[in-house]
Amino acid sequence: MTLVLQTLLDGLVLGGVFSLAAAGFSLIFGVMNVVNLTHGIFVLIGAYLAWSAQHFLGVDPLLAIPGVMAVLFAAGYAYQRTIIQSAVDRSSLLASLLVTFGVALVLRNLLVLAFGPDFKSITPSYAFTNLKLGALTLDIVRISALAASLGLIALLAFVLYRTDWGRVIRATAQQDFAAGLCGVNVRHVYGLTFGVASAFAGAAGAVIGIVLPFAPPDEGHWTMKAFAVVVLGGVGSPAGALLGGLLLGLINTFTAQFIGPAFPNAMMFLVLVLMLLVRPHGLLGSAFGGSR
Amino acid sequence: MTAIAAAPAIIGTARAQARTITFGGSIPLSGRAAETGLNVHAGYLAAVKAVNDKGGIEVGGQKYMLDLKMFDDASDPTRATTLIQQQIDQGVDFFLGSFGSNIVLPTAAITERARKPMVQAGGGSDQIFTQGYRYVFGFFPRASQQFISSVEYFKTIEPRPRTFSVIFTNDAFSRTQADGAIKDMEAAGFQLMDRYQLPETITDVSSVLNSLRAKTPDMVICTTHDQNSLLISRQMAATDTHVKLLYQTLGPQLQSYREALGRFANSIMVQIYWDERANYKDAVFGSAKGFADTYRSINPRPLAYHTAAGAACIVVYLQAMQKARSVAPAAVREALATTDVETLYGRVKFTKDGDGDPILLGPRIGQVQKGAVEIVFPTEAASAKTVYPAPKWSERS
Repeated sequence: MTLVLQTLLDGLVLGGVFSLAAAGFSLIFGVMNVVNLTHGIFVLIGAYLAWSAQHFLGVDPLLAIPGVMAVLFAAGYAYQRTIIQSAVDRSSLLASLLVTFGVALVLRNLLVLAFGPDFKSITPSYAFTNLKLGALTLDIVRISALAASLGLIALLAFVLYRTDWGRVIRATAQQDFAAGLCGVNVRHVYGLTFGVASAFAGAAGAVIGIVLPFAPPDEGHWTMKAFAVVVLGGVGSPAGALLGGLLLGLINTFTAQFIGPAFPNAMMFLVLVLMLLVRPHGLLGSAFGGSR
Repeated sequence: MTAIAAAPAIIGTARAQARTITFGGSIPLSGRAAETGLNVHAGYLAAVKAVNDKGGIEVGGQKYMLDLKMFDDASDPTRATTLIQQQIDQGVDFFLGSFGSNIVLPTAAITERARKPMVQAGGGSDQIFTQGYRYVFGFFPRASQQFISSVEYFKTIEPRPRTFSVIFTNDAFSRTQADGAIKDMEAAGFQLMDRYQLPETITDVSSVLNSLRAKTPDMVICTTHDQNSLLISRQMAATDTHVKLLYQTLGPQLQSYREALGRFANSIMVQIYWDERANYKDAVFGSAKGFADTYRSINPRPLAYHTAAGAACIVVYLQAMQKARSVAPAAVREALATTDVETLYGRVKFTKDGDGDPILLGPRIGQVQKGAVEIVFPTEAASAKTVYPAPKWSERS
């Protein structure tokens, strides 16, 4: 029983990180129908910024999150208004797939130039402490990561459902033409959405950085995880990302514990295939799909 | 020992106009294997610079300067094979290895087919040396034989550990090395408790650690690559998963690994293939220490044993060319096959299959003590005594 509880706990912690890492990806996919293959690199940029904050300024990586989010918000907004929008205008949404893939390659190599190819690791002061609850062992870093993830996802939900920005983002996602007729500057909203999504990707990077060593080639891994979370949970809503992420975390740990540590990826893709066959919109469906 | 060639000065003084010997190949300067790829590459660069700065080498009465044409394969075997084939087509005759068995294996197939020698210090998987290749030479013993010295070491520990578990990832090197470790350990009387196979890229090992806490062996052996090793040890420390001996074949040799773990890195064991304090003579650098000094004067990147191995690849090539008195690939291959020479890296001799002699080129055993790696085995080369059992994580200082 203890083992089941420990595995459940480990799965929830891992899932929380996956949820946060996927929230931005889900938002962009839900609002703009753009599969953003740059997502993983934004996650890593967040991790590198948090590493820099700790390494050069001595700032705790979790406290650096607001700064990381601000930088990536600006970068995401500019990226959408220039490169992504241009690709969509000139060709199709498919072009954005290719463009984001290309930009990810370029950014990955720029990261190598800026930080070197060596893996980095963020070690906060509480990195090696743990909490014992009876027979259960809780790694403080991972618990902090889970708390930060849940807090940030709640913040994203607040932004989307309780602010004017969120209202126009949701309106644009549901009917961009109608939103435009109502006076919404749709292009600006797309930029805002990309900015918000990038900011949350960066925050996820800061959280991931305290949990795992990271290096530029890891970007593909985080894009893939985000894709899996979106397929599982559904597109566009923080709740979908949260549910998908937690589910993915639980699939990972329970498979590793009770089937074998070699099989989490195999099980993840098996569940993805089943989900696409049975419920292609994911568990919570598309947050904006009903009005389209 | 009489078979060892004396290490004559190979820096030439011929008066004839210099020609160029080009060494080609690919190396991970980016991608997952870049950290160690850069270390190997730094060794290649240091050796070429040292030779050229001294006026080149003389082979068969002709003076040669060295040229290095290494391209970034981005840790991608497909890209590496394309790069190697291109260089074969362009007439490159001598190849240096990439890093990672998954890259060395397919690229070696190409150089072998073209009958061009490859000397490498980046691939130890058994498959590289069991295909009947004649032109491929590796500094490391094949993975299944890399554990011989480790088992000998474990037998010397008092009180003698009895049980062990193995953690490895699903890639050619890690899996083969784990298989070899289990075979050698069981043959020596150690009892295997569990073997944990992980995906090639891991984000969490909590399930493995849960099992380890429930069923704790005396020793945990990880045949994982650097980044994965760090993740495992970091999670072990954070969850207070204690074993008497944590042994990782790769990881702790890197300064970045030790810095990331801080005091928690102390007592972790690692395979070490080279130590700059060893009393090796070398034809280009004078000695192991001479190499270390030269390297540090030209490159700020921390010195790793892969760097020394990279430099020694070129030293061995040059010795073979001088022995063959030729720069014809077939003649150099024959000379390489009978190489038995002391270099900055130690005494280099290849088996008939092309991998490093498991006794001469097998790993020494190191342990992190006070943040640095100390040699603890073999005894005659030891710079410190083993700390065993390792202190609990919270008691490490």
